[in-house]
Amino acid sequence: MLDVSNLVTAYGKIEALKGVSLRVESGRITCLLGPNGAGKTTLMMTIAAILKPRRGSIRLAGTELIGLTPAQVVAQGVALVPENRLVFPQMSARENLLAGAYQRRDKVAIAADIERMYNCFPRLRERSEQLAGTLSGGEQQMLAVARALMSRPRLLLMDEPSLGLAPLVVAEIFDILAKLNRDGTTIFLVEQNAHMALKVAHQFFLMEQGRVTFQGTPGELAEDEVIQRAYLGTRRGAG
Amino acid sequence: MDDYLIGVLSNIGVISFLALSAYLLLLTGEISFGQQAFFAIGGYAAGIATALWGWSLTAALLWGAATGAAAAVLVGVPTLRLHGLYFAIATLAFAEMMRILFELFHYQISIDGEWVGPDGSDGFRNIRYIFENDVGPVQFLALIYGLLAAAVGGFMLLERSRLGVAFRMIGEDEVLAEMHGVAVARHKVLAAGLAGAIAGIGGGLYAHMTTYVEPRIFDVMLGVHSLAYGLIGGLGTAFGPLLGVLIDIGVLESIRTFAGFRMIIFGGLVAALLIFRPRGLLDECVVHRIAGAWLRVWGWILRSASRPAGGGR
Amino acid sequence: MIDFAQNTIDGIMIGSSYGLLALGFTLIFGVMRRLNLSFGPSIMVGAYLGTLLYLNFAAGPIAVAAVTVLGAVLAGIYVERLCFAPMAAGAGIASMVSSFAIWMQLEQAAILLLPRHTYPFPSLTTGAPLTLGPFQLRADHLIMLACALGLSAGLQLLLYRSRFGLALRAIIGNPVAAHLVGINVRTAVLGAFAVASAIGGIAGYLVLATDQQITPMFGMWATIKGLIAMMIGGLGSIPGAILGGLVLGCLEAHSQSYFGPQIRDLSAYILLFVCLVLRPGGLLGEAPTRETIDRRRA
Repeated sequence: MLDVSNLVTAYGKIEALKGVSLRVESGRITCLLGPNGAGKTTLMMTIAAILKPRRGSIRLAGTELIGLTPAQVVAQGVALVPENRLVFPQMSARENLLAGAYQRRDKVAIAADIERMYNCFPRLRERSEQLAGTLSGGEQQMLAVARALMSRPRLLLMDEPSLGLAPLVVAEIFDILAKLNRDGTTIFLVEQNAHMALKVAHQFFLMEQGRVTFQGTPGELAEDEVIQRAYLGTRRGAG
Repeated sequence: MDDYLIGVLSNIGVISFLALSAYLLLLTGEISFGQQAFFAIGGYAAGIATALWGWSLTAALLWGAATGAAAAVLVGVPTLRLHGLYFAIATLAFAEMMRILFELFHYQISIDGEWVGPDGSDGFRNIRYIFENDVGPVQFLALIYGLLAAAVGGFMLLERSRLGVAFRMIGEDEVLAEMHGVAVARHKVLAAGLAGAIAGIGGGLYAHMTTYVEPRIFDVMLGVHSLAYGLIGGLGTAFGPLLGVLIDIGVLESIRTFAGFRMIIFGGLVAALLIFRPRGLLDECVVHRIAGAWLRVWGWILRSASRPAGGGR
Repeated sequence: MIDFAQNTIDGIMIGSSYGLLALGFTLIFGVMRRLNLSFGPSIMVGAYLGTLLYLNFAAGPIAVAAVTVLGAVLAGIYVERLCFAPMAAGAGIASMVSSFAIWMQLEQAAILLLPRHTYPFPSLTTGAPLTLGPFQLRADHLIMLACALGLSAGLQLLLYRSRFGLALRAIIGNPVAAHLVGINVRTAVLGAFAVASAIGGIAGYLVLATDQQITPMFGMWATIKGLIAMMIGGLGSIPGAILGGLVLGCLEAHSQSYFGPQIRDLSAYILLFVCLVLRPGGLLGEAPTRETIDRRRA
C-alpha cells in the first residue's frame, strides 16, 4: 500500500533520514522500531507532508505523495496520529472529531461516524462536551486516534501512541489498534515499546540513525535482540 | 568632510545607541517598543543639566545615563512578569505616557534675559553647550563614535562574560535559566537598567547634537525603528543593530533621488530581506562562521609565527 | 450629571469603532499568534482609495464604503502574502518587523496617491443629531454601535457555526494538528486576514465618515487604538475586543471633556499599562500561561 524509497529529509545540513526505503502492506499492522533520534518521527512527518524531503519518493497505492500539501495527503486517505497527541485544546471532544472529518461534506455519515467512534471509545462519549485540553493523557490519545479515523483513512499512521501513558492504558490502546486492523484499516505504527508492538505487528522494521537496518516478521529475530537494537542501536556498540 | 556627511554620520552614531538599547533587551528575549522613552529622558535630563544648571557635558551625559537607567528600572520591575506581546505593548504604553508627560512638562528659567528649558509640546530649544564651548562638529562626531565604540566594546565583553551567558539563557528559556541557577528577575532588571542607560547616553548626545528636542520626536515610530534595526542588521552580535542603522539612514539618504518612493523601495527591501534572513543579516550562524574563520586565520598566524622558533630547537 | 451621561454615550459610540478595530486585530492575532502592525495602514489604503473616488467622481457613501472595505481587504492580503505567509515557524518577530516595514510602504503609497495633508471624507448621514430628552445622539454614531454589535455577533457565529470557523479555531488551537486533519491552513489564514481587514475597513470607514476628514496619520491611529482596545479587553476574546473598545471610548470621552486631548491620550495609556501589569489577560481574556506565551513568542 505504501512504498517509501530512498527518502532523504534534512534539518538544515543534518540529514535525519539518509535514504529510507520500506513498504507497508495493505491490511496489515506494520511497526517501525528504533532508538530515540533514529528519525522515526521525521519519517512520519515527511509522509504526512508536514516536512519536505530532499529526495526520494513516497507512493500510496502507486500515487506519488511528495509535492502534495498536508491537506492533499489527507485527501489521498492517509491520517497521522501525531506524537504527543496534539488535540485542539480549546475545542470540545466532539468538535475535535468534527475537525477530523474536515474534508468530508456528508453530514449524515459524519454524525454516524462520530457515533461509531463513541461506541469504539466509550470514554469519549462521556467526555463529548468537555474541552479536549482538560482530558487525561489516555483520553487525549483516544481522541487523537478517533479524530484521525474520522477522515476514513486507508492508511493510519501512528507516532508513539504509548508515550507517557500508564501500562493499562497502553494495553487498551493496542487492543483498539488490533480491532481497527481486523476491521480493515492498514496501520503503520512507530513505537518505542517494542514488547507491545511486536505482539500486534505483522511485520516490523528497525530504524537506526536515519536508515532501515532490519526488516522481518515478529519471531524472526529474538525479542530481546529486537529490544536491544530498538533501544540502544547496534552501531554504537559495534563502533 | 562636508557638513552634510558629518550630519548624517552623527545621526547614525546617535541612533545606534537606541538600536543597541533595544538589542540588549532582545538578547534577554524581550521585545521593547519603548526604548525611545529612555532616549527622551536622557535627552531632556542632559539638556537641562548643561543649559539650565551649567554642568559640564561629561557630567550631563552621565546624568542622562543615570536618569535613563533609573526610569528603565522603574518600568522593569512592574513589567517583570510580562512577556512577548504583553511586554512589548506595556513598554509602548509607558513610552507614550512619557511622551505626553513631556508635552505637559514646563521647566524654564531665565538665563541672560532669555527663557530656556523644556516648554511643553513646543519642545526644549537652545541646548547650546557645544557652541558655547567651541566643540566643533568633527570633535562632537569623534565623541559620539568614541562613546559608541566603548558601548560596543562593552557588548563584546558582555558576550564573553558570565553575565552575557545569563542574558542569552534567559532569552532562550527563562524557566530553564532559573532552574540552572540564574537569578532571572535580578538579571532582567539589570538588563533593563543597562538598556536604559545606553538609551539615556544616546539621548543626551542627540539633544546636544541637534540643540533641540521636542516630545513628538520620541514617538512610537522611533521605538519600532530602533527595534527593527536589530532585526535587519542581525541578532548575532552588537554590530547587527549598528549595521541596521547604517542601512536605514545610509540607504535612505543615498536613495534620496527617488524622493517620493523611498519608503516604498526601502519597506519592500526590508520585508524581502526578512523572508530570507528572519534573524537579520548578521545572525547567529553568520557570526559563528565568521568567528570560526577568524580563529582559523589567527591559528594559522600563531603557527607560522611559532614555526621558526620551533625549528630552531 | 447630564454631561457625564452625555460623555458616556459619546464614549460608547466612539468606543464601538475601537471595538471593531480590536475585533480585526484579535482575529489576526488569534490565528497567526503574530502582531500585524500594518493592520491600520492597510485600512488607510482602502480609505484613501475611497477618498480618491469621492474627490474625482463625487461617489456616494455606499460606493466609498465599498471601495474602502475592498481596498482594505486587498491591502490586508498583500500584507499577509509578504509578511506572514513566507515566514518560517518561529520567525514571529521577523513577521512583526516586516509588517512595520510594509506600514512605511503603505503610508508612502497613500501619500503618493493624495499628497496633501488633509482631505475631506464624505459623511454618511446629514442632518441634525437626534435629541432624546437632554441627550444628543448622532445618527452615524448609532450606525457605528449597531455595526460593532452586529459584526461581533456575526464573527462569533462564523467561528462557532461554520466550517471555515471550525478550521480557524483548529488553527488557533494547534496549527500542526490542523494540517494533519486536512485543513488547508494557508488558505484559511488568508481568509482570516481578509475577514479581519473587511471588519477593519468597515470600522475605518465609519470613523472617517464621522470625522469627515482623512490624514496620513490614520494608519497609525487605527493600529494603536485597535491594539489598546484589544489588550484591555483580553487577547483573543471577541466580546473582550468590543468591551475593551467601549471602555477605552468612555475613558477617552470623559477625560477629553474634563481635561482636554493630552490627558485623554495619557489616561488611555495609563489604563493600558496598569491593565497589563495587574491583569495581563485583559478584562475578558485568559491570563497568559507559559504555554501560550511560548506559542505567542514563536
